[in-house]
Amino acid sequence: MLGELTAETVANRNNVTTLGRADGPVMVFAHGYGCDQDMWRRLVPYFAKDYRVVLFDHVGAGHSDLEAYDREKYGALDGYATDVLEICEALDLADVVLVGHSVSAMIALLAAAREPERFARLILVAPSPRYTDDADDGYVGGFSDEDIQGLLESLDSNYFAWADALAPMAMGNPGTPEYAEELRSSICRTNPSIARHFARVTFLSDTRHVLPQVQCDSLILQCTDDLLAPAAVGSYVHRQLSHSSLVQLMATGHCPHVSAPEATAAAILHYLNPRP
Amino acid sequence: MTDTAGRPVANFETLFHQAPCGYLITDDDGHITAVNDTFVRWTGYGRAKLLGMKLQSLMPVGDQILYATHCIPQLGITGSVSEIAVDIIGSDGVRRPALLSASRFAATGQEPDSVRVIIFSAHERRLYEKELVSALRAAEESDARRALAEEELQRLALHDALTGLPNRAGLKARVGSIPAGAATDSPGEGNPLAALFIDLDHFKAVNDSLGHGAGDNLLVSVAGRLASAVQAPGAVARLSGDEFVVVDAVAGTEEAAALAARLLEVLAAPIHLEDLEIVTSASIGIAVAQGGDDTVEDLIRRADIAMYRAKERGRNRWELHRPAPSDPAVDRLRALGELRRGIGEGALRVHYQPRIDLHTGRASGVEALVRWQHPTRGLLPPSEFIAMAEESGLVRPLGAWVLDETLKLAESLRRDDRQGAGLEFAVNLSARQLNDPGLVDMVESALERRNMDPALLLLEITETALMSDPVAAVESLTALKNLGVGLAVDDFGTGYSSLTYLKKFPINELKIDRSFIMGLGLDTGDAAIVGSCIDLAHAVGIRAVAEGVETSGQAQTLQDMGCDLAQGYLFARPLTERRLREWLASHTWARP
Repeated sequence: MLGELTAETVANRNNVTTLGRADGPVMVFAHGYGCDQDMWRRLVPYFAKDYRVVLFDHVGAGHSDLEAYDREKYGALDGYATDVLEICEALDLADVVLVGHSVSAMIALLAAAREPERFARLILVAPSPRYTDDADDGYVGGFSDEDIQGLLESLDSNYFAWADALAPMAMGNPGTPEYAEELRSSICRTNPSIARHFARVTFLSDTRHVLPQVQCDSLILQCTDDLLAPAAVGSYVHRQLSHSSLVQLMATGHCPHVSAPEATAAAILHYLNPRP
Repeated sequence: MTDTAGRPVANFETLFHQAPCGYLITDDDGHITAVNDTFVRWTGYGRAKLLGMKLQSLMPVGDQILYATHCIPQLGITGSVSEIAVDIIGSDGVRRPALLSASRFAATGQEPDSVRVIIFSAHERRLYEKELVSALRAAEESDARRALAEEELQRLALHDALTGLPNRAGLKARVGSIPAGAATDSPGEGNPLAALFIDLDHFKAVNDSLGHGAGDNLLVSVAGRLASAVQAPGAVARLSGDEFVVVDAVAGTEEAAALAARLLEVLAAPIHLEDLEIVTSASIGIAVAQGGDDTVEDLIRRADIAMYRAKERGRNRWELHRPAPSDPAVDRLRALGELRRGIGEGALRVHYQPRIDLHTGRASGVEALVRWQHPTRGLLPPSEFIAMAEESGLVRPLGAWVLDETLKLAESLRRDDRQGAGLEFAVNLSARQLNDPGLVDMVESALERRNMDPALLLLEITETALMSDPVAAVESLTALKNLGVGLAVDDFGTGYSSLTYLKKFPINELKIDRSFIMGLGLDTGDAAIVGSCIDLAHAVGIRAVAEGVETSGQAQTLQDMGCDLAQGYLFARPLTERRLREWLASHTWARP
């Protein structure tokens, strides 16, 4: 399936990082919109001892190869799913536990629908198959088309800040001195033009159709008070996805793996290794 | 409150409240736990209302999404974000553009996690950035539009609008690169190329009796029949009017003749036009490549000659062109000797064609055109000898001489009277001259010798010459540009018609090829090309010039299209120096 691509090309394109226990079962982490693989930093330590952890940046984010950004390919989430499958093939990964946050939860479902045999479990953190409401069938995604237009305007307002890779405050940060300066200057770096296109693709996509196609065991992690993925959306995903479990986290907001890594890790580990 | 030395210092609480920007403290979810007076005043909310509220809820939804997906994770991972552009919606419902910076402090002892936030009002800066971003988007869009225009122009330039067949340039683009004599890597597998020049018999009668509409329908129908009778990779093109050309690889003259016979048969079937049944016929001239270095152009020229013989011999038939027995190498040497002698003996002349400013109707300058007074063949235009001069290297001294003659005239006109002041002098440069390392020095010394304002000299280079070695051309042109002279692209539209080089080369003027001007008022395709070329020139900020303007209708159309300059028989033929002086004198009314 890689065709002309070599494993090395794929690894460079997506800035693939492998860590943890080399002979352990495989966990692949896919970051969501607006960030890069660094956002898993607080969660990964809970898995590195027992699992082989694979991290990567979507093309356009972090240290991925911006030259590889093809507006047509990445004009639909399926293009990102192709990359996930290519990473799995390039690294020859089997029985993968695929963790996807936010839009990447949907990318994970698209990948699993295309190559079911590749994946053992899916962990869907704050998933939403459609962010905008659908007047035709009464689906409530939480946002209107105008809201998404507003997001694109916000992105434009931040164009120059993003272009500078969000330079850190000159005065540093006395609150968390443990983080090195170079990390702060590189995290969540995004090319502004790509961020805008990815925003459109993410927030105007509708992947509800793929839910019934996926048979893989999956865990839905639903946050409390999540602007982007309200509780009703989590329940919808749970209903449409056979073999899925839904866990409601106490963590608030959209990024429980950042704000409450311990609780998030506990929920995932419990799902992967249930104690009798 | 005291400092470390025990002296009283400023009240920090006052500093917090009266700071020139908004200070807030929130928990990890954004709930406001403290807020300063500046922020309270700036937003218009009561302090009690703000406390406990989520800071994000003061932002529009778009900012909230960005905050949730980007800022909160970054705060969580790195502990800080800086200068995020957000809007804060005040109690009056009005959005206040702001920049937000924040640092996160991990819990210590009794103190829970907290986030310290600073919010600057950033009205001016956001306005400025907004303008920059919209300019950026506009530039991106106009790039995309230009790419589309280029594609369209390319298509227009290479195709005949009426029939959709390739035109002369399109045919050249398709088969021009194949050596006609030995098409070794072409699908003809080593077979030579043949050109069949097809001219409809009595087409004018159809046009005259049934009107142009019917004539056009007939041409479309003929084009369709020819196209389906010739299999790829053979090519069918419409050159002009009722002239078509078929170029195909053939095993020999017999196969070419068989093809011609088949085409005559295909065309002989009756065509229905406006309820009338019309039987057409055509005369076909055939030329088959002889090996050697025949080009497709040569073939077409020979086929054209043969076609005239077919007409003479009674139409509805084909004739084969048989080149007269002669030794081309000897012919060439003889011609070259004549030219060299001609240059030495002063048989070369420079004629000058006035260029008219279409906005004012006044002469703005002249183009210098070289002529050869041949002892037996009469006055020859450059097309008869420049190619030979190029090949032999004679073009270098010839080009230098033409430039000097022209600048000499410019100098004398300036000295003589008011006519010359401000007139521009255009001089042609050949491909070989363009690649000559001595070119820039030659031009510079000619300018100095004749005391010429460089801005009034315009050097014209054909599109084909530019593209033969674009990298070297950019270098030479840039050096010429630095002398202060103007640069024009000649015969635009006949070659690559690429906008990319318009941007790359430092040119001032686009000269639209005469073949398109001729079609103005006759052929909508040509009008579209001319219009596009003019728009294109203006889009990149340079002048558009039409050459070969012969009728006042063409001039009017060009004027309506916004074309800047024109030259052609309508205004004046190329004139000798003496006639030019007279012409200028009789047109002085037009110059203040």
